[in-house]
Amino acid sequence: MWNWSGASHLTWLNGLAMLIGTVIVLLLALGVVTYTIYAQRKILGWMQGRIGPNRLGPFGLMQTIADILKLLIKEDIIPEKADRSLFLLAPILAFVPSFMVLSVIPFSRTHVFTANISIGLLFYIALSAITIHGVMLGGWASNNKYALIGGMRSAAQMLSYEVPLGMSVLGVALMAGSLNLNTIVMSQHTGWWNIVPQFLGFCIFLVASTAELNRTPFDLPEAESELIAGYHIEYSGFRMAFFMLTEYVYLFAMAALCATLFLGGWSGPFLPGWLWFAIKVFAFIFFQFWIQNTMPRIRADHLMSFSWKVLLPLSLFNIVLTAVFKTIV
Amino acid sequence: MSDVEDSNQKTPEENEGAEQPSKPSDSTAPAGEKVAKASEGEKPKTADPAATNSSDPTDGAKPPEAADAVAPSKPASAAKPAAAAKPAAGAKAAAAGAERPARAAKAAAPPDPRIEAAKETAEKVKATLVAELGETAVEETGAAHLNPMVRIKRDFWPQAVELLKNHADWQLNYIECMAGTDYPEYIEVVIYIQSTNLGHFICLKTRTPRDRAQIPSIVSIHPGVNWEEREIYDLLGVHFTNHPDLRRIMMWEGFKGHPLRKDYSEWDGGEENGAH
Amino acid sequence: MALTDEAQSIRTEEMILNVGPQHPSTHGVFRLVVKISGETIIEAEPVIGYLHRGTEKLAEDLQYTQIIPYTDRLDYVSAMINNYALCHTVERALDLEIPERAEYLRIITMELQRVASHLLAVGSYLLDLGAMSPFLYVFQERERIVQMFNELCGARLTYNYMRVGGVKWDAPPGWIDQVRDFIPFMRKKLKMYDDLITGNEIFLSRVRGIGVFNTETALAYGLSGINLRSTGFDWDLRKKKPYSIYNRFDFEVPLGKNGDCFDRYILHMQEMEQSLRIVEQAVEQFPSSGPVLGKVPKMVRVPAGEYYSGIEGTRGELGFYIVSEGKDKPYRMKIRKPSFVNLQLLPELLKGQSMANLIAILGAVDIVLGEVDA
Repeated sequence: MWNWSGASHLTWLNGLAMLIGTVIVLLLALGVVTYTIYAQRKILGWMQGRIGPNRLGPFGLMQTIADILKLLIKEDIIPEKADRSLFLLAPILAFVPSFMVLSVIPFSRTHVFTANISIGLLFYIALSAITIHGVMLGGWASNNKYALIGGMRSAAQMLSYEVPLGMSVLGVALMAGSLNLNTIVMSQHTGWWNIVPQFLGFCIFLVASTAELNRTPFDLPEAESELIAGYHIEYSGFRMAFFMLTEYVYLFAMAALCATLFLGGWSGPFLPGWLWFAIKVFAFIFFQFWIQNTMPRIRADHLMSFSWKVLLPLSLFNIVLTAVFKTIV
Repeated sequence: MSDVEDSNQKTPEENEGAEQPSKPSDSTAPAGEKVAKASEGEKPKTADPAATNSSDPTDGAKPPEAADAVAPSKPASAAKPAAAAKPAAGAKAAAAGAERPARAAKAAAPPDPRIEAAKETAEKVKATLVAELGETAVEETGAAHLNPMVRIKRDFWPQAVELLKNHADWQLNYIECMAGTDYPEYIEVVIYIQSTNLGHFICLKTRTPRDRAQIPSIVSIHPGVNWEEREIYDLLGVHFTNHPDLRRIMMWEGFKGHPLRKDYSEWDGGEENGAH
Repeated sequence: MALTDEAQSIRTEEMILNVGPQHPSTHGVFRLVVKISGETIIEAEPVIGYLHRGTEKLAEDLQYTQIIPYTDRLDYVSAMINNYALCHTVERALDLEIPERAEYLRIITMELQRVASHLLAVGSYLLDLGAMSPFLYVFQERERIVQMFNELCGARLTYNYMRVGGVKWDAPPGWIDQVRDFIPFMRKKLKMYDDLITGNEIFLSRVRGIGVFNTETALAYGLSGINLRSTGFDWDLRKKKPYSIYNRFDFEVPLGKNGDCFDRYILHMQEMEQSLRIVEQAVEQFPSSGPVLGKVPKMVRVPAGEYYSGIEGTRGELGFYIVSEGKDKPYRMKIRKPSFVNLQLLPELLKGQSMANLIAILGAVDIVLGEVDA
């Protein structure tokens, strides 16, 4: 099979392989999202002493598929007073980047799907920021006060957590001496996983990524008890499914990024690379569900001050620490 | 439900007739209806005494004249069923008959010391109010069951409440309950008010005529009655002057009529009330 | 130069936001019209009445026993206590003797009901604050209480259990043992909740120092129950105006210090412990046999006059005011609804708070719309 580390020239064959790879990633992501939602419901149910979905298919395995189908055939409602074009554009704007970031994630050592770009890390951070526009536009275009507040909160939150998130991964980049995600994994493959030398960075990343994903305790944009559903309150049918999809693809992507940056990506003893990768991704996702089950929601103003007053100084400190460490060693 | 008081006077059918209404699920059963009809049929006869009774319901101890006033109508209502021997009406008469001696006995018995104490306290409240607001401020004193009751003239209502709130001897600072009642001749508003420091628990009331019912508001003294006054305005149609925000609270804006008035009919409001 | 002026000062606009009547955290059909500037509340106006069923008017055409099921539907998560409040008022008017066994059954059911209701209050409060699990956890313990009630009276929510002069059903064999077993189980669970919730930093940051009011305000607004006690004012009708047989039990009245949302939360937890203490003692003293319904006339006729008596409900003072003409139906019945009175303070509490605090404050006031609207 074609290996990202070997090929440097784009040939027709490579191009075709890439196209196939894209389709595979797309299907993979959809499959992962489907069963992430299922896993979420099952895990939450287990933690809360409930059963969770168990009607459709064995152990309720077909439940999410049925839900998606239901969303597909539902009426696509566009509010009369909404800004129609923006309203239609917003879910797409939110969704496309979430898939694009998957193109730089190294799923295993040898495969066809990863773009071996030297600024992979930057690419991820930059693209994921585009989603904010989709969310904000969706909130704005809905012409609904709850959606507007949700969208604004979302924008404020994602922007302020983008900064510590970016800072926290800089330590990793310093360690590997590269922004290329493949190189970062390789450097961990030969040495320590970054979680050990970059433990502070890992903690910051974990918090910031939770906020970036709008998950509990940072799920303010869609704080159900306050804003009902937040920015996507007016969306229905498949447009709403797009927002949900975005959310869960990002959960997957962020888990993959976390595994790549801090947990050694696909590297690990005995088991095949893709399985290691899957285990690490699932560990991150499980952690998110666990937190979701345990924590109340943080308040908006606390959220902001936590980002700027705690996380940002800490991540700056981490960068300095890493730089000093790198110079000495 | 096995224990029956005065069961010696009742036949089995009467027992059944009396028992039915106490089961809420069977309220539509024929026997229950009969009782309801019987009591309805009796209404015109007892209407007068009922009025005199309710015009002064605050007098805790049963006044003997009230019992007497009921008495004349009784033989008539009791004699008819005795001849017809209808079970339901018989039960009614038997119950009434059982009640009458009990009432007479109560009237003859020495007055309840708790009620006497309540009346004394009410007199003291009156003395305080009269000293500050003049003789006309207090219309009546007595006992509302076991609690002292003072009826205040409508015009002095806020002043009296404020006075009792700030007066060192009373310090009535905590309104526990506020209610309005529609009587045939007037509407009465009552507050049960507590002194958290001194432990007094007193019933204060005031009356307003039913037409253009109007009472000065006491929200400025006790902000906690804001919604209670709105509710009384909404459901009984008492206009509280100087209330900061007198609007309907339970019913919607545009609703016609005041449901808790005794003469309210749900058909009066017409389209407005039904349309929502 | 109008253009530059406009550019220099950003024009802001106040926004009116309708919270409810259908909103996840208003606990029913409750509407709150808030005027906000950004996320700061300038003004809030509660709008109620969506669940108004006219219980007071209905009661005028019902016999006293027939009113009891209607009281179930007031504060529908503490139906036992509502039942009792009405029966208590009528019994006081009639000066009835209640059999011992009935009194104990009433105490046990009422205090268990208080535990169940407080559990739900705490659970739904945390749900409002974004923690999903506690709400689902509390239903497990509440289920045991509900099951016990079900065995006792055949209903899970609207019990219709109390009667004037006693209770409708005697405890089935083994029921008291179930209650006895429940107490240590519940204590263990309360400890668990305490560990899970009380120390949570995020929770504390959301409820500490939020929605503060002092005793004076509370008294002026007629607040009662936990809302009043959270300000540190000792006012529990079970102690202050003992009714039923509460004077036989040894229990404390937990008091708050600051009058904030945290105090209101923690009082719920502490009151559950005290309720368990009462239940424990009641189970010990429970008479082994005896009637459960006193000598009551078949047709309850309240002597002419007016009567008011309040008891300590789960949300505050629950009272019934009855005007009687001496008939079997009340001439007028007024319910002193604790949630209704407590809710009045809400607009004052919300002024100047942020939208996120709105939920925290509303949840801590702890209303049940069935009662507010009656």
